[in-house]
Amino acid sequence: MDGLKARLNDSLQFRLSAWLSLVILLVATIAGSISFLVAYDEANEFQDDMLRQTASLFDGRHLPVQATADAARVPVADADARVIVRTLPQQGPRGDTPAFPSNLHDGVQTVELQGTAYRVFVRTLGSGPRIAVAQQAEVRNEAARAAALDALIPFALLVPILLVVVAALVRRFFGPVAALAEDVDRRAGDDLAPIEAGALPREIRPFVIAINGLLQRVAESISMQRRFVAAAAHELRSPLTALSLQAERLASAAMPGVARQRLDTLRQGIERNRALLDQLLTLARAQLASPGPAAPVSVQAAFRRVLEDLVPLIESRRIDLGLDGEADARVCIDEVELGAVLRNLVSNAIRHSPQGGRIDLSITPQGGHVLIEVEDQGPGIPEAERERVFEAFHREQGADGSGSGLGLSIVRTVVERCGGWVRLEDAARSPTGLRAIVAIPAASAG
Amino acid sequence: MRVLLVEDDTMIGTAVQDALREASYAVDWVTDGQSAATAAASHPYDLVLLDLGLPARDGLDVLDEVRGTHQPVPVLIITARDAVEDRIRGLDSGADDYLAKPFALSELLARMRAVLRRREGRGHAVLSNGVLSLDPATREVRTDDGGPIRLTRREFALLEALMVRPGAILSRTQLEERIYGWGEEVESNAVEYLIHSLRRKLGSAAIRNVRGVGWMVSRHD
Repeated sequence: MDGLKARLNDSLQFRLSAWLSLVILLVATIAGSISFLVAYDEANEFQDDMLRQTASLFDGRHLPVQATADAARVPVADADARVIVRTLPQQGPRGDTPAFPSNLHDGVQTVELQGTAYRVFVRTLGSGPRIAVAQQAEVRNEAARAAALDALIPFALLVPILLVVVAALVRRFFGPVAALAEDVDRRAGDDLAPIEAGALPREIRPFVIAINGLLQRVAESISMQRRFVAAAAHELRSPLTALSLQAERLASAAMPGVARQRLDTLRQGIERNRALLDQLLTLARAQLASPGPAAPVSVQAAFRRVLEDLVPLIESRRIDLGLDGEADARVCIDEVELGAVLRNLVSNAIRHSPQGGRIDLSITPQGGHVLIEVEDQGPGIPEAERERVFEAFHREQGADGSGSGLGLSIVRTVVERCGGWVRLEDAARSPTGLRAIVAIPAASAG
Repeated sequence: MRVLLVEDDTMIGTAVQDALREASYAVDWVTDGQSAATAAASHPYDLVLLDLGLPARDGLDVLDEVRGTHQPVPVLIITARDAVEDRIRGLDSGADDYLAKPFALSELLARMRAVLRRREGRGHAVLSNGVLSLDPATREVRTDDGGPIRLTRREFALLEALMVRPGAILSRTQLEERIYGWGEEVESNAVEYLIHSLRRKLGSAAIRNVRGVGWMVSRHD
């Protein structure tokens, strides 16, 4: 019951259906009752007329025969339904039919005889005898009820149909609203594009317009925050430059070994800051940029440029890094952004690789996309963690803290914006390790 | 060598000025765009180091004025604006090079030397990565510890391709394009063969291979 009440309060569609059904039932009940009563009355009147007409068949010279065995032999479908005609007061032998008292007045009346109700029409023939034409009331009533019930059949048939039709119509009218809700529900978290209001009923449109206004304000506020992040990262560059230049100057001064050691640590810290700022700027730019048409870029060439910067790191960790096959493919993405994606994937792989480990890169065209894979032999990431590592500043367990925590956020932002996707899987070639797969729309050939 | 340093950040300016003086440059340091334009007009500098985000006048504006008066002074932009469009705008405005903050002093000095070298027309002198030096005139290569080594025509072409930009990885196709002229038939494994013979002459560490990607000579600076 509470559930029903809740649904009544919650759903306009349900409320409309329920109330319309209720009104239909109520009207049908009243209309049915009225037509039942009218039909019942008419049937009764019709039967009274029949009694009158039967009585008019007699006059002073043609009196009804008294009940005989012959009369009883006339075949009728229902013995109780027989019309009985008698002269009053009763004469002759009394049969199985009741005797009517002589004090009945002329006209139609209901008389109870031996526990059975009769409808009786009494008529005085000329100045002499009186006759009574009678029929059992119960039989008459039954016939009248049957006739009246027949009048209800259309209601009985049409009301359920009407209820179903009303429910279907209401659902249909609310269809656009349900579709709209589903559409909004299906949206990605960062999809703030306005809702299409074209096909919606006029009553709903103001809501949609209001929601669109809200979406726009949210989009503006998000974009403002992102611009702020970009501007903040940017503004931090000058002081950081000053810091790193001073540290570099300091390094060229003469100093005791212990001081030099500490200065090296300091400079490593500054370097980490610089890397973090760069990543922050890359992410902010990727989030702010609108995906425009990009000239096709060769993935292999992009890998070459990225690896040029990473070779010293790869060498220092004695990592065997290589590209499988000499296949190349061209993709539709901004060159700088593709570089950011590859650099982050490869440097993640390097950071998590053991000394002397192996990193395999591959480029595979597949359907309309180009799959780029980077597989390492590091500890991998448990499946339950794999979604979380895409969050900004997420730290994996056991990570050495040298990463910015933004790499995979950048990868996902860039790749999804250009219509691709990124997925993490278990390594295919070694017992442990991670395989990062990125799909980017391929540039059409030619 | 007299250098005009245009930088509004005091800490950066001090560090750069000190480092330049130590490297035997004479440095004039101004901190806003207007003084920069005036200074550049009043004295023939050998090089201008120009920050873009300046008070009073934007750096690109100053650059326009300097170029507008047909001063051939080399200009090296040092700025925090590092988006590709900014770089393109800077170079299109007539800057000789573009260095994004944060940068290292050693890189700044190297870029300055490169810009000055280019200006003096000896941009294609001896190629060096700090360990090897290749002289295009004689087709000879020198290692740190050895005398000149003669290279064949194709060995030289391959090594030169790699030495133009030490640290750059070149693919097999790129190398083949440098070794063979138009219409010459490419022999299979020619690149591997040349690399092999170069390594025999220069030591196996001279040329690095990145599996499936290409070859490079490392930067040692």
